[in-house]
Amino acid sequence: MSKQREPLVRVVKRDRIHPLLKVAFYLLAILFALTVGGVLLFAIGVNPLVLYKDMFTIGMLGSRFAYKSVEGLLTIFVPLLITSLALSLSFKMRFWNIGGEGQFIIGALAAATVALKFGNSMPPFPLLVLMFLASMLCAGLYGGVVALLNVRFRTNETLLTLMLNYIALYLLRFFGETQAPWNFYLSDESVRPVFQKFPEAAFMPTISIGKFSLNISFIFAVLICVGAYFYLKKTKQGYEISVVGDSANTARYAGMHVPKIIVRTMFLSAALIGLAGGFYVSGAKVLSTSVTNNVGWTGIIVAWLAKLNTFAIFGVALLISIMQYGAQAASTQFPIIDSNFADLLQGIILFFVLAADFFIRFKLVFRKNAKKQGGAAE
Amino acid sequence: MAAYAIELKNINKSFGSVAANKNINLSVRQGEILALLGENGSGKTTLMNMLSGIYKPDSGQIFVNGQEVSINSPEDAKKLGIGMVHQHFKLVDIFSAADNIWLGKERDGSSAKAKLSEVFLQKERFSEIEKTAEQFGFQIDARKLVKNMSVSEKQTLEIIKVLYYGAKTIILDEPTAVLTVQEIEKLFHILREMKAQGHSIIIISHKLNEVMEISDRVAILRKGEYIDTVNTAETNTLELTELMMGKKADLNIRRTKVEKKQPLLEIRDLTIKNDEGAVAIDHVNFYVRGGEMLGVAGIAGCGQKELCEAMAGLRKIESGMIIHEGESIVGLSPQKILEKGVAMSFIPEDRLGMGLAPSLSITDNMILKKYNQNHWNPFVDRKSARKEAQEVIDELEVVTPSTEIPVRRLSGGNVQKILLGREIKSNPNVLITAYPVRGLDINSSYTIYNILDDLKQKGVGVLFVGEDLDVLMSLCDKIMVLCHGKVMGVVHASKTSKEELGLMMTGAVNLSVVNGKVAGIAKDSAIKEEDVQ
Repeated sequence: MSKQREPLVRVVKRDRIHPLLKVAFYLLAILFALTVGGVLLFAIGVNPLVLYKDMFTIGMLGSRFAYKSVEGLLTIFVPLLITSLALSLSFKMRFWNIGGEGQFIIGALAAATVALKFGNSMPPFPLLVLMFLASMLCAGLYGGVVALLNVRFRTNETLLTLMLNYIALYLLRFFGETQAPWNFYLSDESVRPVFQKFPEAAFMPTISIGKFSLNISFIFAVLICVGAYFYLKKTKQGYEISVVGDSANTARYAGMHVPKIIVRTMFLSAALIGLAGGFYVSGAKVLSTSVTNNVGWTGIIVAWLAKLNTFAIFGVALLISIMQYGAQAASTQFPIIDSNFADLLQGIILFFVLAADFFIRFKLVFRKNAKKQGGAAE
Repeated sequence: MAAYAIELKNINKSFGSVAANKNINLSVRQGEILALLGENGSGKTTLMNMLSGIYKPDSGQIFVNGQEVSINSPEDAKKLGIGMVHQHFKLVDIFSAADNIWLGKERDGSSAKAKLSEVFLQKERFSEIEKTAEQFGFQIDARKLVKNMSVSEKQTLEIIKVLYYGAKTIILDEPTAVLTVQEIEKLFHILREMKAQGHSIIIISHKLNEVMEISDRVAILRKGEYIDTVNTAETNTLELTELMMGKKADLNIRRTKVEKKQPLLEIRDLTIKNDEGAVAIDHVNFYVRGGEMLGVAGIAGCGQKELCEAMAGLRKIESGMIIHEGESIVGLSPQKILEKGVAMSFIPEDRLGMGLAPSLSITDNMILKKYNQNHWNPFVDRKSARKEAQEVIDELEVVTPSTEIPVRRLSGGNVQKILLGREIKSNPNVLITAYPVRGLDINSSYTIYNILDDLKQKGVGVLFVGEDLDVLMSLCDKIMVLCHGKVMGVVHASKTSKEELGLMMTGAVNLSVVNGKVAGIAKDSAIKEEDVQ
C-alpha cells in the first residue's frame, strides 16, 4: 500500500482564544461585509464611502437638526433592545419564542385601548402606568398561554408563537380598517379609516436637554438591560432558566418545578415585548398597522448575534438601529437607496459574523505548519 | 505477512498546551488481544483515536502490516482495516440495526442493481446484514431500532459494524464499563472467537481482573507516557497496578466497623412502577441504620433506578412506606427530602444525563439542589458555592483548571467526583449512591470507597447500589439482592459468597424469608405493626 498524502489544510479546534482576537475577528467580519456592500453600491453608481459616512453618522453631520436624528434613532432602538432582551430570556431556556411580532402588537393594542378609553378621564401618570400594565399583562398572557399548552400537552411552541403572530397582525388590521360605531380605535374626523390619535395624557413624557428631547422609554430600556443582566446572572430564577435550558432532566432531578419555570419565563419574555409595544405607541402617539417595524424578527437576529449575552445585545441592537435609521437618513441624498439597503447589509453582516464564529472556534493548520508544530512539541 | 498488525512509533499529540500523548511506542501482533491499560486521562483514548482517524498525530509514524501510513479520516482507517468501537456509541437512534451498518457501507459495483441500491434502500439489506452477522457468530434482529436496544445489544451492533466493514484490527474503548457481569462474559467469548478467526484486538480498560482474563499482552500508559508492554501470563494484578499508578498500591478496600445505631431509613412493603407502567419494585422491605453501609446487588435494570428515584422523591410510589427517622417522607418534594438529610446520587449509563447540567460551571452545579434553601432570598449565593466547589476539588482531587469550567469539559472520573462531592457536601444522614465508580479508574474508585467509609464512620447510613460483587462484598456491611424488583434476601457481606449472591441475583435462591422471619425488617423498627396496612 502506498503512503497516503496528508491533506493540505486541516481544521483544528482552538483551545482558547484571546478576547481581543475575538473582537478583532468580529470587526474584520463587519469590515468585510461593508466591503461587499460597498461593491454592490458601487455597481449601482453610489459612492459607498459617502453613503456609509451618512449612514453611520445617521445623517447628523452638517445637519442643523442633528438632535432630531438621535431622537429618530432612539425610537427604533428602544423597542428593538427591549424585544431582543426579552427574547434572550426564553432562548436561554431553549424555548423558541418566535412570536415577538404578535406579542408586540398585543402590547401596543392593549396600551392603545387604555389610552383611547380612559385618556380623557384620567391624569397622565396613572394613565401611563395603567397602559403599560395592560400591555405587559395582555402580551404576557398571549405568550404565556403557549408555554402553558407546551407544558400541559407538549405542543410545539415554535408553531404556536408563529401562528399567533398572524392572528395579532390581522386583529390589528381589522381594527384599522373596519369603520363602525363601536370601533373607537379609528378617528371620527376622517372619511378614510385612520387610527385615532391618542389623547395628550397618554403621550410618553420626554426630558428636554436643550433642543433635544429624550423619550424616557430610553431610560427604562437601559434599566431593563441592566435588570436583565442581574436577573440572569444573580437571581435564582435566572439560574433556573439556565439549568432548564441546559438539561430539563437535570432540573427535574434537582427538584425544580420545570413547567412553572417555563410558563413564568415565557410570560416574562412576552410581557417585556408587550411593554416595548406599549412604549412605542405611547411615543408614536398613534397606532399603525406597521407598528412593529419587524422587531419581533430582527430581535431574534440580535439575540443570536449577541450570543444571548445581555450587554452584547445592547451593542448589536444599537448597531442594527444605526444601520436602519442611517439608511433612511442617507436615502434623502441617494434616492436609489432606501431602508431595504439596511436589511441587505444586515444580512451580509450576519453571514460574515457567522464565518468569523467559525474562525473563532477553529483554526486552519496547513501541511507545512503541521510538521513545524510537531517538531516544537518534541 | 508482517509480524505486527499495527506499530506506532514516537507518537505525539497535544491539545493546546496539554500533551495527551508523549513519544508513544506501541505494537500489536497479528491475532492477539492487546490490553491498553491506564488511569483516567492517561491518553489511551487519544492514542486510539489517532489510529481510527479521528485525530492526527502531531508527529510520529504509524505502520499497518509493516507499511507506513497516514490516517487522515475514519474513512482511511476503514480502508486500512482498522475499526473502533467507541465508548459512546456512534449509532443513529431512530435507524434499524441494518441501516446503521448500511449507512457507512462502501458503494461498489457498477451493475444496474448496485446503482439502484445506491438510490433506493433494498429490502435485501436486512437479510444480508443478518447473514454477515451469522458468519461471525452473532445473532441479531436487523430490523430492530437502535433506540429500542439495550446497551449490550448496541455494543454488539457496533462490533458487527466494524467487522462488516472488513476490519482486521478492532479497537474497543472501555467496552465493559457499561455491561453487566453476564454481558461481559458474553463479550469476552466474542472477542476470543474473533481472535481465533485471526483478528487483532486492542481493548482499552482499567479493570485489572478483566485485563488479566482476556489479554495476551498488556501495554501500560501513565500520564500520556508509554511505560511498558508485558506478557499477561508473566505478570499479576499487583505489578500491573504499580506500572499503571507509578507507585505501590494497596488493593484492600477499607471497611470500618461502626457501632450499630437506630434504623434511619426504613422501607416497608414498597411497590413502584417504571415509566412503562410495569412493576419495577415489588413489595420490598429493607432498612439502613446509621453507620451502616447496605449494598444493593442485582442485574442491571431490575428496579435499582426506580427505587433510588422513589426514595429521593422523584418518582411516585404505588403503595408502601418510606420512613426516615420515624417519619414518612412519601409525597414530600425532592427539596424537602434533601433538607431532611436524604441525599441521592445516581450515575446513569451515559454518566452525564442526570444530576448535572453539563454546560454550567462546577460552581453552578454545586448549588443545583439547594440553591433555593433560603426562600426569602431571590439571589443565588455563588460565593459559598464557589468555596464549596473548591473544597470538593481539593478533597476529592478533581483535576480542573478552575471552579468556573463547564462540567462537560471535565473527564468522566472528575465529573463523577463532582457529583458525589456535592451530595456529601449537603451533609446527609442517609446517602443513596448508585454506581458511584462506574467507569472510574482504580485510584479514583478507591478515593470514593474511602469517602463512603468515612461517611459511615460519621454515622451516615449509606445505600450503595453497585455492580461489582467483589467490591460490594468487601465494602458493605450487608448486601440486599434484588431480582426482578423483588428482594431475594439481605445477607451479611462477610458471611456470603459470590456464588450465593449470583444465585440470588438470578432468582435461583430466595432467602427473603428465613425461619419465618421476613428479611429487611428491623427488630427495633420505628414502624408499629398497627400502622402497616
